[in-house]
Amino acid sequence: MIAARLLPFLLTALPLAAMAQDAADPTGATAQGDVAVTIYNDGQSLVQDDRQLPVNAGRNRIEFPDVSARIRPETVNLSGPGLAIVEQNFDFDLLSPDKLMDKAVGQEVTLVRTNPATGTETRERAKVLAANGGIVLQIGSRIEVLRDDGLPVRVVFDRVPPNLRARPTLSVTVDAARGGTVPARLSYLTPNLGWTADYVALFDAAKGAMDMQGWVTLTNNTGTTFTNAKTILVAGNPASGGGRRNWWQSLSGAIDQAGTESGPRERLGDFYLYPLAQRTTIANAQQKQVSFLDVKGAPARSTYEYVNGWLASSTEPMSASSVLKFSTSKQGGLGDQLPAGTIRVYMRDARGDPQFIGENGIDHTPMGSSMALRTGQAFDVKVRPTVEQRTRKSGSRWETKMRYTLSNARPEPVTIDLAQQGLWGDTRVTAQSLEGRRTSADRMEWSVPVPANGTVDLTVTFDTRY
Amino acid sequence: MRPSPCSPAKAGVQFRPIDWALTLAGAWRSLLLLFCLGLVSAPVHADTVISPKADSVSLTIYRQPGRAQGAIDPNWPRGYALVTETRTVNLPKGESTIRFEGVAEGLMPETAVLSGMPRGVREKNRDARLLSPAGLVDAYLKRSVTLQRTNRKTGKVVRQDAVISAGPMGGVILRTGEGYEALGCSGLPERMLYPRAPADLSARPTLSVIASADRPARATLQLTYLAEGFDWAANYVADMKPDGRTLDLMAWLTVANGGVTGFPDARLSVIAGQPNKRGRAPQPRPTGGPLHLQCWPMDITSTHPVWALFPVQMPERVEEMSGLEDVIVTAQRRNVVPAPAMMAPPPPPPPPPPPPPEDVGDLKLYRVPMAVNVSASGQKQVALLRQGGVKVERLYAATAGYGIEEPRPMTLRLRLQNRKSDGLGLPMPSGRVAVFEDVDGLRLLAGEADIGDKAEGERVDYDIAQSPDVRIVETRLSQTRTVRNWAIRLTNARPFDVTAEVTIPHAIDPRPTDMERRGDAWIWRVTIPANGAVDYGYAERLAR
Repeated sequence: MIAARLLPFLLTALPLAAMAQDAADPTGATAQGDVAVTIYNDGQSLVQDDRQLPVNAGRNRIEFPDVSARIRPETVNLSGPGLAIVEQNFDFDLLSPDKLMDKAVGQEVTLVRTNPATGTETRERAKVLAANGGIVLQIGSRIEVLRDDGLPVRVVFDRVPPNLRARPTLSVTVDAARGGTVPARLSYLTPNLGWTADYVALFDAAKGAMDMQGWVTLTNNTGTTFTNAKTILVAGNPASGGGRRNWWQSLSGAIDQAGTESGPRERLGDFYLYPLAQRTTIANAQQKQVSFLDVKGAPARSTYEYVNGWLASSTEPMSASSVLKFSTSKQGGLGDQLPAGTIRVYMRDARGDPQFIGENGIDHTPMGSSMALRTGQAFDVKVRPTVEQRTRKSGSRWETKMRYTLSNARPEPVTIDLAQQGLWGDTRVTAQSLEGRRTSADRMEWSVPVPANGTVDLTVTFDTRY
Repeated sequence: MRPSPCSPAKAGVQFRPIDWALTLAGAWRSLLLLFCLGLVSAPVHADTVISPKADSVSLTIYRQPGRAQGAIDPNWPRGYALVTETRTVNLPKGESTIRFEGVAEGLMPETAVLSGMPRGVREKNRDARLLSPAGLVDAYLKRSVTLQRTNRKTGKVVRQDAVISAGPMGGVILRTGEGYEALGCSGLPERMLYPRAPADLSARPTLSVIASADRPARATLQLTYLAEGFDWAANYVADMKPDGRTLDLMAWLTVANGGVTGFPDARLSVIAGQPNKRGRAPQPRPTGGPLHLQCWPMDITSTHPVWALFPVQMPERVEEMSGLEDVIVTAQRRNVVPAPAMMAPPPPPPPPPPPPPEDVGDLKLYRVPMAVNVSASGQKQVALLRQGGVKVERLYAATAGYGIEEPRPMTLRLRLQNRKSDGLGLPMPSGRVAVFEDVDGLRLLAGEADIGDKAEGERVDYDIAQSPDVRIVETRLSQTRTVRNWAIRLTNARPFDVTAEVTIPHAIDPRPTDMERRGDAWIWRVTIPANGAVDYGYAERLAR
């Protein structure tokens, strides 16, 4: 294999073969071995790289090119039979012309001057004395500044300093028990390689059903390509220091009722695992999508929702939210848990072409959950809340009469779930034109049917403090 | 152990020159060498099929989320579009990579859906490693290039082999037979020559899929995706009739495409309403870009570091010329100062009214009845609706309760009822309306107003101007602990009666019986006689 790799190299780059030997791999192929990548939701990944390392008995310094440029060096772990780690270095002092000259201070370089009149070249050796704002050189017994006269001068360096590299490079010094080729496993954590889920839901309102496809979207910003990697995705948010995440950081409000069903998928602790069926190459600057869910004909229905704040009113009708309701249950649902991501909802128009009708995010959703996805604002279904009257009853009790005008410009009847929030604890409802549900101390809900092309008034009287 | 990719027979089978995008001289040997040099980073077992363009395309444009009114961002339209393309590709047997070219610039790859593959799609990829000066250095790092120097005096060209030792960050260091040198630091004209463009660098971020087929097949694919860089707006033109009680309403649909991809003969539609759209997760940043050559410090004795590197030429954005459109379709370049659309006079023979929108879920879909060209970086206008003889009510409006004891002008408000009996009764997407009046045969702009989405049955108010002749003054007469007494006086300097509507956000005591309650305020409606005044006094109950 090595011979096969070298063959074309010898054919094309024979004159350079001797000088390019210091390059990591002149064919440009990756230096990675058998790579396995475990990718977490929060943009962090665990990389395991099984390489065959040629070592000599005793102390060796081994360089690992083609690791993530965003490697977390403190998480690096190298293990192999007979290998004991002496030290690990992650060098990101990069080779550049500026650094090259800076490190050449005190050393000799070759100057090649070109005569502007004749074009002839002359060479001389010079010693770099300083590189502060300009290059001061000692040539024989004279001191001069590089290109003080503005004429072209090439500076040729004999060598590059050993610690400067073209790419950030991990190097490990190991003590090997014996020489030879040792199978070693390098593992580390890297940020900038994460995933999320993207769902495509095609909703059919007439059938009350939807088809849903789920895609895993991988994003690689590590600066490195992971070639032919075995890939496992972990759904869940492992704590990354600082304890658990706060609940308000991640809630999307799409879960009406959390499910209690278990799926057949592989688990890691409380997380779900999504292994990719085939090895895949995750290229740098690539966004990759792999399918993981395809459900046809799951039941779904669309409803409307309007949430009014306490004493909120409007002179213009306000659009109700369009809500898509479905279940992730095995019976009558998608039958799978859903990793956090974005659900995009499509519907077919009169010609049968799918059209996008809105999207929203979901959290990690267990199987069996009831979902309410708010996809947008309805054009034709609106609510106009009015504060009819505020009367003082006694020292601190007030009576508030609210009127909600619900309108429907659609040619079919709809039902709007209207919620009044901000009731605090001791608010009583003394009169209502339609029986509502007190879902909590703070919130009351009414399901109001509105006829086709019609308007309905809901009046409610609240008895509140202040 | 992976199979060696360099056995000639294998490579020969695996690469078909016809599918090879970047082969300029398709010499078999160079292909083989290119392959073996590892310039191919796409999976080595896959054929690459290029789908250069779509056979047919349909576009549905969505508005910028949250921008109900106002103008389209002329630099980069902030809305988005659903693009559905039909493409035909020849699939080879086995697994292959299909690259889609000519897709919209703002394609959101996470939304792409592909149907029509005989055996489905294994994975979808969007690669953002771009072909650029820096991208070339990056791809050729530790590999050999040709360094070419030209003698300024004699014109003699010297070529030598070199290996790129470092780059592209912070400059380029080359290794030649003589030693190490920095590119562009000697003051000599020098440049690098690359043998060929790496195949895995693309001209722009590219979408590709990996799919497989049992046998060679010709497949018709439907590629659907959302793309940023589109937007639309509705611009209403209302012409008051001489009777002052009706107006002719028409609306232009303005569609903008800010991307570099044009869509000829596209089926165009727009969606009115407010679908929810989330912010996007960060995408891989494109790699590459201009090559910034940096050198060691270059100050000299007569020091002013005016010595500069030759500038890196940025490609200039070339704007193509606009094409002519149909009579009712007016095209306009983005870089031209956009004249307000409503200023455009209606075309001489009025086209038939556009078809009414259809419902898609809770949104409204407007179809442009004919195929149109949606050109790159262009804006176009199509008639959205046309309705004559719409009943209009003219009134003067103000909100009291500010306690401003000075006569202030009231707002001229044109009120339409969006119902069939008033000549309307159709969904009206949000937008800006320009109201024109005929004065002695001269068409004058009376005012402009922004309105939101109005469904059938709603009230539509155009607040178009301040009237110096109709004024309101409110006076606080007296105040106790529980009651504040107010007097409102409306004056009319015009020679005819006008209707006024005053919003009073106070708890009027006693509770009025003849006023409308709107929001949390009372609406006092009254007629002010010609050259006269009206007074209203009331007590406000204070919440103490």
